[in-house]
Amino acid sequence: MLLSIGMIAAAILIGVPLYYILVNSFKTQADMVTSPLGLPQEWFFGNWQDTLTDAGMYRSFANTIYVTVLGVALQLVVGAMAAYAMIISSSRTTKILGAVLLLGFIVPGQSTMIPLYRTLVGFNLVDDLNGLVVMYLGGSIFCYFLIQGYMRTLPFEVIEAARIDGASANQIFWRIVLPLIKPILVTVGVFQTMWVWNDFLLPTVFISSPQKKTVVLEVYNAVSEFTTDWPAFMTVTVVALIPMVVFFIFTQRHIVSGLLSGSVKG
Amino acid sequence: MNRAFLIPAIVVFVFLFVIPLGQSFYWSLTDFTGYDPELSFIGLANYSTILNDPSMLAGLGFTLMFAVGTMVVVTLVAIPLAVQMNKAFFGKNFVRSLWFFPAVPSMAILGLVWSYILSPLPSGVLNTLLNRWFGVDAVSWLSDDTLARWSVVFVGVWAQAGWHAVLYLAYLQSIPHEYYEVAKIDGASPRQQFFGITLPLLTPAMVISSFLLLTNGLKVFDLPYTLTGGGPGFSTYTITQSIIVSGVSQGRYGLASALAVMFTVAVGVIGFSQLKLTSVISRRFV
Amino acid sequence: MRRTLIVGAAGAAALALTLTACSGSDSGESDGVTTVTLLSWTGEEQMTPVIEDFEASNPDVKIEASYSPPVAEYIQTLQTRVLSGTAPDVFLIAAENKTNLIDAGSVIDLAGEPFMENIAEFNRETYGRDGAEYGLSTSSWAAGYAYNKEMLAEVGYDGIPETWDEFLEMCKKLQDAGHTPFLESVDQMPTTVSAMVGAKTAEMDPSVDDLIFSGESTFEEQWTPIVEEYNRLYTEGIVSSDVVALDGDQVRDEFANERVAIINAGPWIIGAVKEANPELDFTFGQIPGLADGAPYQAGAASPGYAINSASDEAHQEAAKTFLAYLSSPQGVEVMQAQTNDVTVTDDFEPPVDPVFEPMVEPIRSGDLYLPMISWQRSEDILNVEAVAQMQRMIQGQIEPVDVTKAMDAKLATS
Repeated sequence: MLLSIGMIAAAILIGVPLYYILVNSFKTQADMVTSPLGLPQEWFFGNWQDTLTDAGMYRSFANTIYVTVLGVALQLVVGAMAAYAMIISSSRTTKILGAVLLLGFIVPGQSTMIPLYRTLVGFNLVDDLNGLVVMYLGGSIFCYFLIQGYMRTLPFEVIEAARIDGASANQIFWRIVLPLIKPILVTVGVFQTMWVWNDFLLPTVFISSPQKKTVVLEVYNAVSEFTTDWPAFMTVTVVALIPMVVFFIFTQRHIVSGLLSGSVKG
Repeated sequence: MNRAFLIPAIVVFVFLFVIPLGQSFYWSLTDFTGYDPELSFIGLANYSTILNDPSMLAGLGFTLMFAVGTMVVVTLVAIPLAVQMNKAFFGKNFVRSLWFFPAVPSMAILGLVWSYILSPLPSGVLNTLLNRWFGVDAVSWLSDDTLARWSVVFVGVWAQAGWHAVLYLAYLQSIPHEYYEVAKIDGASPRQQFFGITLPLLTPAMVISSFLLLTNGLKVFDLPYTLTGGGPGFSTYTITQSIIVSGVSQGRYGLASALAVMFTVAVGVIGFSQLKLTSVISRRFV
Repeated sequence: MRRTLIVGAAGAAALALTLTACSGSDSGESDGVTTVTLLSWTGEEQMTPVIEDFEASNPDVKIEASYSPPVAEYIQTLQTRVLSGTAPDVFLIAAENKTNLIDAGSVIDLAGEPFMENIAEFNRETYGRDGAEYGLSTSSWAAGYAYNKEMLAEVGYDGIPETWDEFLEMCKKLQDAGHTPFLESVDQMPTTVSAMVGAKTAEMDPSVDDLIFSGESTFEEQWTPIVEEYNRLYTEGIVSSDVVALDGDQVRDEFANERVAIINAGPWIIGAVKEANPELDFTFGQIPGLADGAPYQAGAASPGYAINSASDEAHQEAAKTFLAYLSSPQGVEVMQAQTNDVTVTDDFEPPVDPVFEPMVEPIRSGDLYLPMISWQRSEDILNVEAVAQMQRMIQGQIEPVDVTKAMDAKLATS
């Protein structure tokens, strides 16, 4: 009980800024200026109405879902495959390659923007949702790093046993390793989903047609040179976040379930 | 044949990292402005400009402070948090979700929200509360060099602690239950269980988590940029901000590329030393 | 099994590639309609009515607009596209990119075009060089002091005094009356400093910047007296050093909530302040002058519409049709209704909010100065340095002369 109270209190404290974003989406700009933290003097739904009746918003959602699903799924597959290769191989070249891959982590994204853009122009992938998916594949290095770290903690006997039973490397990967690493796959998947869903930098540079906008680009419609319509900004932020909330609540139970039972039965 | 599993990752790596970095390296040897494709080769001049102009490296101190600060504090917060979140208690899902969520909204909006909360004016949110409850005078959270630096580190911790706790939480699942049962039978206190079983078995997670925190911390840009704009003065300026400002706003793309190359090498050296070090330490435990 | 897996992953990548090949961008012509691409600086909500009105009166030109928020994101997006040959036909030339765009030959010369003739000279020169004109800038902005009339009346004033000494004296009276007299956001070049340098250079020939950038003079010589006067706000305890952490929105909110008497501000605060506090009686005034300058204001020509030199002739012609519309009384009226800018075309009189009336004349006659845009090179490098050093000065870490010396050092090495 004490634990509940303590944890909930800490969580609420952490959540204050999120409350701030939510509550201001129900205010007029004037109301927000007068009392940024209080409840609205009068609940105002105009921001929500504008956002939800904007047809462009729905198209942007569809675009974002496409990019996120495809982008994250490919990242996880590429990352998990590389991690698996690292774990089961004992050859020195593989180890070195695995270490070199980590360099991909270290390059500051902003500094490779122009070269990447030029490469994608060459492949005709600029202003194209698939171009974004390709860019997000960069995240597979991150997935690789986290997944291989987790794989090291697996009971290796399970893999050995399967190998002795005559399973191919491929079968072991899909049927044994992937189920075992579900907690990390979900953790990393959720994290990468958040990143791709919310990323502003890549879409703003790579997407120019209004039909191909992602949701985050809609958020920035409220920004102009000298001022920003913060209530509108926050409303679109909340709208863009709702699917993430649902997604997280739905997936988080998978982070912590299944592993032990899975390994025993597997 | 197992090596075939590495191929997709290598393709990604070459296309998205090696080639662009090679291009940056080439540009770092030129007077490229970022606009005009006609450029001339100027050798190592950009590198010597950086080494001779102290203000190019103005962000070095704070960048290191932020990276190390968030790494240490997030680790200290995230591990106990993960252990608590792994227990059954009322409101568990709610708590997990809330801790995780700071990682979600864009840094631009979080920077704005925090700049209202930490505003040094008496009308700032935190200052209002401190005044109402404790009668304290307004504190210059973001307008004093030292406080501003720590405020940025604090918000960085706030934004990342929850996610790293979830990462530890995933690793906690790989610790067999039997260990704890045996320990209980032997009469170990919860404290002894934590230091005797949980912590040592979490060292692989710590290797990963601290490497992520350190490298991401070294590359930090959005947070200080939106919260303090690098100020007051240069007190929260970061290396990445230097790279972006010189490359984009100042038309010195060659120079920015040189800085990026040097920075990549430096982060690489620091990151790998840290990885090596933590791996050695963790092997002692496991 | 293994093969399928790897082929599968490769296949997904290949699929991504082929999908794109089909959906390559086409801005080509059909039925005699030319599609002009535009990267807008103005937000979608404000720009859409303008585009719709233009297309209604010009059925043979279609505008395909995309949006990027100013300033940093816009500049970066445009830079990336210009360099890669994917820039739109029409984009904005601004203080931050003008030197680079002109140097790289990315924009065409608009001098002599009929649609440039009704534009104020100040605006044409801002985005020009050596007689060429690269941007169609139809409006300007200015920032001065917004003040709470009631608070000033309480201490016996009916406006901002004309000299700096009198202004400081008034601030002290406001302080004695229990008010916070003045707040100025210092996340950018302080409005006060910009205006004071502007007032000084307006009386000089050659200008301050001509002297500094030709090497005849220095920032130390020209700017130090001004920065010293400005610093009196802090050394005499009138303004708290906390302003180094404030941005324009925060200062505006303090003003709207009647927690400060005077702030630095431009027309963009009017709407929000009036909505938040309809009772507040406020207006604008010019920034007081020093011994060698009259009251003045900070400000600049708004970014100008420019035409991409890499576009083909048909698109450039169609783009000119769009620019001609933007400078016509009709276009200016539609745009002005959206943005409330003070426009500077000689055949349209912009309706202006009465509280901003005192600033309109200076704007329309081009009595404006902004260091960032008047400096002749290394604008952003100098600006970043000046702002950071002034923040340190405000905190009491360095002296005014150190600020200007640091600016000279920056200019020498860049």
